[in-house]
Amino acid sequence: MKINNKKHRVLPGFGLSMGYTIIYLSLIVLIPVTILFLKASTMSLADFWETITNERVIASFKVTFLTSFIAALVNAVFGALIAWVLVRYDFFGKKVVDALVDLPFALPTAVAGIALTSIYAPNGWFGQYFELLGVKIAFTQWGIIVALTFIGFPFVVRSVQPVLQDMDFQYEEAARTLGANSIQTFLKIIFPAILPALLTGFALAFARALGEYGSVVFISGNMPMKTEIVPLLIITKLEQFDYAGAAAIASVMLLCSFFLLFAINYWQWRSAKKHQAG
Amino acid sequence: MSIVLKGLSKTFGQFPAVKKVELEIPTGDFVALLGPSGSGKTTLLRLIAGLEGPNSGEILFNGEDFTAKSVKERKVGFVFQHYALFKHMTIFDNIAFGLKVRPRKHRPSKEAINSKVEELLKLVQLEGLGERYPSQLSGGQRQRVALARALAVEPEVLLLDEPFGALDAKVRQELRGWLRELHQKLNITTVFVTHDQEEAMEMADTVVVMNNGRIEQTGSPENVYENPVTPFVYSFLGRVNEFRGNSLENYTPYGVDKPFSDKEVGYIRPHEIGLSRTFVNNSYPAEVSHVNKVGAAVRIELRRLDTDDLFEAELSAEKYNIMGGLKRGDQLFAEFQNLVIFNGNTLRNSEFELPPSNLVLRPEEVRS
Amino acid sequence: MKSELVSRQKKQSTASITKWVLIGSALSFLGIFILVPLIAVFTEALKKGVELYFLALTEPEALSAIKLTMITAAIAVPLNTLFGLIAAWAITKFEFKGKNMLITLIDIPFAVSPVIAGLVFVLLFGAQGVFGPLLAAYNIKIIFAVPGIVIATIFITFPFVVRELIPIMQEQGSEEELAALTLGASGWQMFRKVTLPNIKWGVLYGVILCNARAMGEFGAVSVVSGHIRGLTNTLPLHVEILYNEYNFTAAFACASLLAILALFTLFLKTIVEKAGG
Repeated sequence: MKINNKKHRVLPGFGLSMGYTIIYLSLIVLIPVTILFLKASTMSLADFWETITNERVIASFKVTFLTSFIAALVNAVFGALIAWVLVRYDFFGKKVVDALVDLPFALPTAVAGIALTSIYAPNGWFGQYFELLGVKIAFTQWGIIVALTFIGFPFVVRSVQPVLQDMDFQYEEAARTLGANSIQTFLKIIFPAILPALLTGFALAFARALGEYGSVVFISGNMPMKTEIVPLLIITKLEQFDYAGAAAIASVMLLCSFFLLFAINYWQWRSAKKHQAG
Repeated sequence: MSIVLKGLSKTFGQFPAVKKVELEIPTGDFVALLGPSGSGKTTLLRLIAGLEGPNSGEILFNGEDFTAKSVKERKVGFVFQHYALFKHMTIFDNIAFGLKVRPRKHRPSKEAINSKVEELLKLVQLEGLGERYPSQLSGGQRQRVALARALAVEPEVLLLDEPFGALDAKVRQELRGWLRELHQKLNITTVFVTHDQEEAMEMADTVVVMNNGRIEQTGSPENVYENPVTPFVYSFLGRVNEFRGNSLENYTPYGVDKPFSDKEVGYIRPHEIGLSRTFVNNSYPAEVSHVNKVGAAVRIELRRLDTDDLFEAELSAEKYNIMGGLKRGDQLFAEFQNLVIFNGNTLRNSEFELPPSNLVLRPEEVRS
Repeated sequence: MKSELVSRQKKQSTASITKWVLIGSALSFLGIFILVPLIAVFTEALKKGVELYFLALTEPEALSAIKLTMITAAIAVPLNTLFGLIAAWAITKFEFKGKNMLITLIDIPFAVSPVIAGLVFVLLFGAQGVFGPLLAAYNIKIIFAVPGIVIATIFITFPFVVRELIPIMQEQGSEEELAALTLGASGWQMFRKVTLPNIKWGVLYGVILCNARAMGEFGAVSVVSGHIRGLTNTLPLHVEILYNEYNFTAAFACASLLAILALFTLFLKTIVEKAGG
């Protein structure tokens, strides 16, 4: 009967490892993040509302969400294309290309920022030609999109790639034997199979883009109302010692990120379960 | 070492895997836990090893309560279904592991460990393979390494989870005989799990038949086979013909017209069915639908002419030849002398007190 | 017969055209977004000659930035590796309620903007922060000082190792550990002799990624550092300062060091992936 009370665990170290995990997680992540919300809650509701509905703040949210969305969309298309090419075709240097896909994960964002700026500045390698066409990339929202595309595309590639790899040729062959042409096969067989992974990759790229700072801050030009992203606005508030204001904006931003994080994890957990069942 | 299980239960979430199991295993016994998948046999084995903790009940080793003891304290040898060999260690290191992890004062010397491992490698017939890695061995060899590793710590109980489940038929056959011999040589109390009734019958001294988390029957292989106490044991051990409802209506072997309800099922093994070309008492007319000669036995599929039931009979080749061979469409008489009838889990035969010689069935009646 | 053959050849040639168009566009995208920026970093860095390049890297402020970057990584990476091992053990070897919730909470630093990560620690330890007065009383400086940089880096790189280990350990299951226990191993022996050798490549992989991020982190560190030259500047921050001072050559020289680190990381990662199977 004594064992009824205590759940029997065969492997050792549950209490110790769980305790350590919870304490370290709380100290490093949970408590600090909670403080942010507490700080934001020291403002009166009216002040809070005024801060986050300020014209400049709204404009920066618009810029951030719009550019992140467009960049994630571009990444979804090209990320899926790259994943497809890497899985289905053989060509010289494929292994190097495959490794280089992760460069945006490994390259410090500040380096990416200054490199992209130098390329797309009006006198840069690409910028000068766009200038001839009368298009400015650096120091406009286009520049932000370029930077966010750079940092986001590995998310899509690495989400879609394993799904394509595991995909059984049988389904495609079955579709072919049933008379489907290659476009029909792609739309009806392949695309639905990679769609969940593609959406996950899109969401990851989008979430990352929302918070991105290092690569954007150099190329965006940081003009209030036009190319000022939310993270930059938070820093500006901090430099003005408006801690509560910074916390207010940050808490709205955090809620968006959390929502995305929970959605992505739930989505992945669910599709993993479905996968197991099938 | 003797093992006693008292009222042992284990639930996984809502699913009761083992329900109030009572079992006594004397020292030196060779026991097969036999049952279909999901019957709780592996869980029971893991409970004995301490790899799972019971929700209630007791486990006694040599009369001492071991229920709350850890895996390490139980000192059982356990062979996992997929062997669980340490992939990154050589065969030698795998076998030596249990000796090397002992506290310094109990640890044998390096030379002693070496000679012990060599001895075990010899015992499992893998001499000279000590430097290989598990991935370089065949399935049967890995199985033997797992066994040697478990034996290295000189356990008083050896527990094996589906020991031959992952091997092909030929290797399995070889290893069965070999393990049996090993048990005779070492005489360690051994419990193994299997879903293969042939394996259980061939190897074990005691067969424990499990179903739905409960023990259905415990006994020697012969006893369990000859005298199943539940319909499950009947149908799980060996081939068996089932007759229910209508098919039992005319069955009055004891001269008593005792009506059978739909819940009652009669069982008879193919070799217990007598076949003859002429009518004998208490037999049914049947037509041969297929003849299958396998070695010394001949399996004959038949259809009862009165009820259209399909059933199988088995004859020795000798008997079959005496009958002059059979072919599809031959009409015979089949005798069901030992039909055993259950109502649910209750045996009905004892309710008929008259001896089986009073036979009343006549062919005319059956045909009409 | 003949027309069928022709149509098949036609089909094959369309397939091969499709193939090369797809490969071509994928590679162009990668060329524009990966290769060109990489080349740009090194071109800009070496624009004014090798001599200036090395001068930029060996000036005292650059050296102190390199040193601080390495110290930060040397603290953050081992701490998060230890956490990764312990948390992955708890999560993969036991069943408990709220497991998915715990995994999601561990992911938070991936979802939080680096700037917000920095802000959070300013709110905690800054002059106006929760512990501000307390720290001031004992004359301890965390924000605008090295400890702040280290803490922010720990936060940012928190999930790297554990996220790498969870799927690996889940897939491996616990049978080998259980086998070790039945053979009489203690908990520590089991972990050291069975678990650790089985996950070593996964750990290494996580450490490599964790290290790359720790050395390259910009946003979070930028908020808490205070940009004090020679004191609280990590290499990425030093790049920013030089760039904002229009000292492009020096900025790109330092950036090239970080780019080399990134390439080296990718190289190691590929090797580890291969070794780990």
